[in-house]
Formats: sequence, structure tokens, C-alpha cells
Amino acid sequence: MLHNISTMLAALVLATGCIEEENFGNSPQGNLEALWSIIDERYCFLAYAEEQYGLCWDDVYTRYHKQAADAQSNAELFDIMGNMLRELRDGHVNLSSEYGMSYYWDWKLGYPINFSDSIQRNYLGKDFRINNGIYYTVLQDSVAYAYVGSFANAFGNSNITAIMAHLAHCKGLILDIRNNGGGMLTAAEQFASHFTAEKTHCGYIQHKTGKGHNDFSKPDPLYLEPGKGALWLRPVVLLTNRGVFSSANHFTMLMRALPQVTVMGDKTGGGSGMPLSSNLPNGWNVRFSACPILDKEKRHTEFGIEPDTVVNMGSEDWNSGRDTMIDAATRHILQQYDSN
Amino acid sequence: MLLPSAAVAQHSTRDAINPYRVVQRSTLHGISLLNTLDTYLSGYDHKGAGYHIQHETLRRAHTGSYNWIFRTRTDATLGIATQHSNSQLLLMASRRWSGYHPFTIGGNLKILAGAQIRAEGGALYTPAYSNNPVSAKAGVTMDASAMAVYTFLIGEKEYRARYTMDIPLIGALFAPEYGQSYYEIFGLGHTRGIIHISSPFNAPSMTHSFVIDIPTRKSTLRIAYIADIYQSDINSLRTHIYTHSFLVGYSRTIYKVKRNDPIEAYSPL
Repeated sequence: MLHNISTMLAALVLATGCIEEENFGNSPQGNLEALWSIIDERYCFLAYAEEQYGLCWDDVYTRYHKQAADAQSNAELFDIMGNMLRELRDGHVNLSSEYGMSYYWDWKLGYPINFSDSIQRNYLGKDFRINNGIYYTVLQDSVAYAYVGSFANAFGNSNITAIMAHLAHCKGLILDIRNNGGGMLTAAEQFASHFTAEKTHCGYIQHKTGKGHNDFSKPDPLYLEPGKGALWLRPVVLLTNRGVFSSANHFTMLMRALPQVTVMGDKTGGGSGMPLSSNLPNGWNVRFSACPILDKEKRHTEFGIEPDTVVNMGSEDWNSGRDTMIDAATRHILQQYDSN
Repeated sequence: MLLPSAAVAQHSTRDAINPYRVVQRSTLHGISLLNTLDTYLSGYDHKGAGYHIQHETLRRAHTGSYNWIFRTRTDATLGIATQHSNSQLLLMASRRWSGYHPFTIGGNLKILAGAQIRAEGGALYTPAYSNNPVSAKAGVTMDASAMAVYTFLIGEKEYRARYTMDIPLIGALFAPEYGQSYYEIFGLGHTRGIIHISSPFNAPSMTHSFVIDIPTRKSTLRIAYIADIYQSDINSLRTHIYTHSFLVGYSRTIYKVKRNDPIEAYSPL
């Protein structure tokens, strides 16, 4: 018996190999290959980018590998690798090192600003309130205005309830998220949950199930459930511009599924892939989109969400201190109120 | 009720001790050398060190004419491993419930063969990552376990060396899908397919430990080396956590007194 047991254990020991990962060398080419492979295997929008603008990731390797081989310094290598990542046209993809962080900014820099905090001051006046980072006031004609500049921090249900209680007598709400670059998905979802009284289907989420460009899980539905505390069910105009990115883009997608919400302004900046991180042989970190979030029609929102009503800031209004978008939103709410 | 063996020795002869009531307990502390790889977080080995604590209990039992040794062992390791400027914090804990049948090979050498249930869990945490800072580990396995115990004399003192090997054979463990975020699992409750059957083919792990018991005037000094090899390759996510721990502590033997034993059985008076 002892012999049998020892034979079996010995066989198991021999069968027990070490689990290791393919290692790229810590050379300029090795680091570039490692970065290229992480994107090739784990980035979630390669097939979509190929479909949208013809990105060929293999071609990218060919072009940048040679540049990496010729790099004279780590700083130069960092720039080369940052340029390679910019081929993805994704603001969620960054390389970070002692030389800083590489960004792709064209999702907003190539478009009208459509927001001025100086002009916004003309609307907020002097008796505005701030609660949980949300600036809010009551505009003329009893129209509520709230500005949410970030989803970087969680909201308190009691804070949101207090804000809604203060604005409860208003005919509708202008919810301004222009230039909101995102933050936490959960913060966006929590805030959006205060605008629905019933469980509402808003979109889908997927993740990669393998290294292939099209290896995805089946889309799992995303639902918005009513939040705890006050719920705002009156008309809402959500103001957006190209500076709305990441979880603010997600917030737009959620709000767009609600019947009392009108999205107004410019297309959002996008950024619908939930980012994960990894690193390279030289210790540099890379962040990349890993889990695509689709709207309720199963469309990608990676390159932005079109508003229901397109409104841009007019130069005449801009020069006279008027916010074309807030004015249009006010008119929309008053029309809705009058028609009801 | 438990009494230190010294108290027993004061009032009763060695023959009077029931061996099935003798329990050996030890608590060891030490350092671990770490090597971690978790491709959910990083494709590169992180190396570092940590603190390891282990508590073990051994006792005898019998069913009919068969003798058994039962062991429970709890281990916890807390450490930090780095790759360049990246750091990973490691917290792993395990609990083992083992049963052995002893075979005397001859002289002072005993071989014990048996099985154990092991539950373990923990996490690797990368502070620099925003959305996927943690890779959680959790699993239950049925292991084959074997011990070799050699007792020897140096002078008049009796020393004991013990080697133990544990190999998980079958079990269940937690692993996300290849690119699945923890937000999906824990935030949205999308838990489909996160529990997997583990075997030596997808989770070839093992633990080796070498223990030497050195008698001292009042108790027994225990020095141990533990090599713990934790590995898995599931959904193309590869993990290894290698810990080499050097531990030291004391073991003590206690005599379990039952409630209805006469008071003379354990009272020193």
C-alpha cells in the first residue's frame, strides 16, 4: 500500500510543472512587444476600431517595432510607445512611467468647447448651493439647474435627497455634466438611480473571454434600479459636450434610457470601455479598455453618444455671456411644462 | 479542559497518561520570501518578503484497531512583492484538516499517509491600479498528504525531524473570466462561471514542510521551513504564489482532561 501511495505521489510531483508566463526582455524592443501583446490580447476595441477606421494592429507593430529598436533613450522609447497607443484613439489607454503619462486627447480637443465656467457663473449667481460637489440653483421661471463636474467620488443618498428637496418646487431640471471627465461607474449609476422609479434596462456589458480580438462574453444586461431617498421624475434636460467621458458617458447612456430625460448639446466624448491595468518588463504601467459597455440597442458608445437635440454654443451668445445650451434647455423644460 | 503536560507529570506516572488525550500544539512565526505572478494583474514575477504565522495541532485517535493522527494547521502570510517600482501586497490564509494513518518503517522512522481538506483564500493587491487592483484567491481542495517522522537522540535528549508533503488532488476555486472585471462580479452580480473544478492539471500546487523539534528545559523549540507552491492556470489567467517561509516557535504538549475525570487526575495538590 505504501509503495502504491508513494508511487502515486511521485507521479503527481512530476506532473506538477511550474506555471510561468511568456516573458519579453527588458529591452526597447522587448518592452514594445510586451505592450503590443497586452493590447493585442486584452484590449477590447481592436475589432471595433478596425471596423470604424481601419486600424490594423499588426501593421502598428511593424511600424513601431523598428522605431523602438532605434530609440536612443528611455524617454524616446516612452514617446514612441505613447504614439503607438494613440493609434487606438481611446482616452482610456495610457502609458505611465517616470516620464509622465501618455494621453490621447483628440476625443475632445478636436471639437468645440461648448462650455464656459465664466458664463456658467452668470447663471449660478451668488446664492447657489454646493452639496457633495454638485452646484445647484433655481434659474428664472422656476427651472432647476445642477452642475455635476465629476463622478470621482461617491454621492450620499441623503445629499442627493437634500438637493432634490431644495429644487422640488421647480418645473424641471437642467442637469449639466459638460466637461465631466468621469470617475467611478458606481457613482454615475448611483446618481442616475435617483431619476427612475422602476427597474429600467439601460444597456449591456461584456468582457473578453480569450486573447482573440472577437473573444467576448455574451452581453449581460445592465439595469438601473430606483435609488434610496428622493426620486426626480419631472422633466430633465441633460447637457453634454465633448468633454463628457468615461463614467460621465456611461451616465449619459443610463439617463438616455429614461423617459423624462432629453439629452441636449454636443456628442459626448465616449470612453465606454471599462479600463484595467497591467505592466511591462521595465515596470511601466499601461491602462487599457477591457470591458465594453453597450447601450440598450447593443451599440458601442466608445466614440460618444449623440444627443437627442443638437445645440452648440453660439459665438454671439458667448460674447454676450449667454449659455446657448442652458437657454435652450430652459425653453425645452418650459415648453414641456406648458404642454402638460 | 487542557493542562500543560508538566502539570500532569507532577502527579502521575507516564504509564497513566492516555495517549489519545495528548495534544501537541505549536505556534510559529517567521519570514517568507515571496515570488508572485498573476497575469490578471501583471505578466511579470514580483519578488519580496513577508510575515508568516502558523498554528498547528496534532492529536491521536483510534477506530477499532486502527490508529490515526489528526492535524489541523492554519497559515497566514502577509507580504509585499515588487517588480521595478510596482508593488503587490499579498495576503493569503489557509486552514487544513488532515488525517493520517501511521506506518512504522523500522526503528525511529515513521511514515504517515493520509488526506486532508484545505480551504484557502486571500488576495494580491496592486495599489497603482484603479479598476483592477485586486486579484482574489479562494478555493477548497481535497489533498493527498504524507509525513515522514524521524526521532533521534543527541546526548540524552530526543529530537524529532518531520517532513510533510501536501498535494491538492481535486477541489473548487474562484477565478474570473479572462477579461472580466470585479465590478461585473461583485458590483453587478454577474457570477456565472466564476467557480471552477481544480485539479493538478489546472492548479498544480503543493506544500512541503520540514520541521525540527528541539527539546529545551521546559518546552520544545520548533524550527520549520515551508515551501508553498500555489499555482493555477484557468481561463488563460496564470497565477503562481511561491512562498519560502522560515519559522520558529514553541510547541507544547497538553493533556486533555475530561469533565468527569477524578480531580486527582490533574490536580497538582
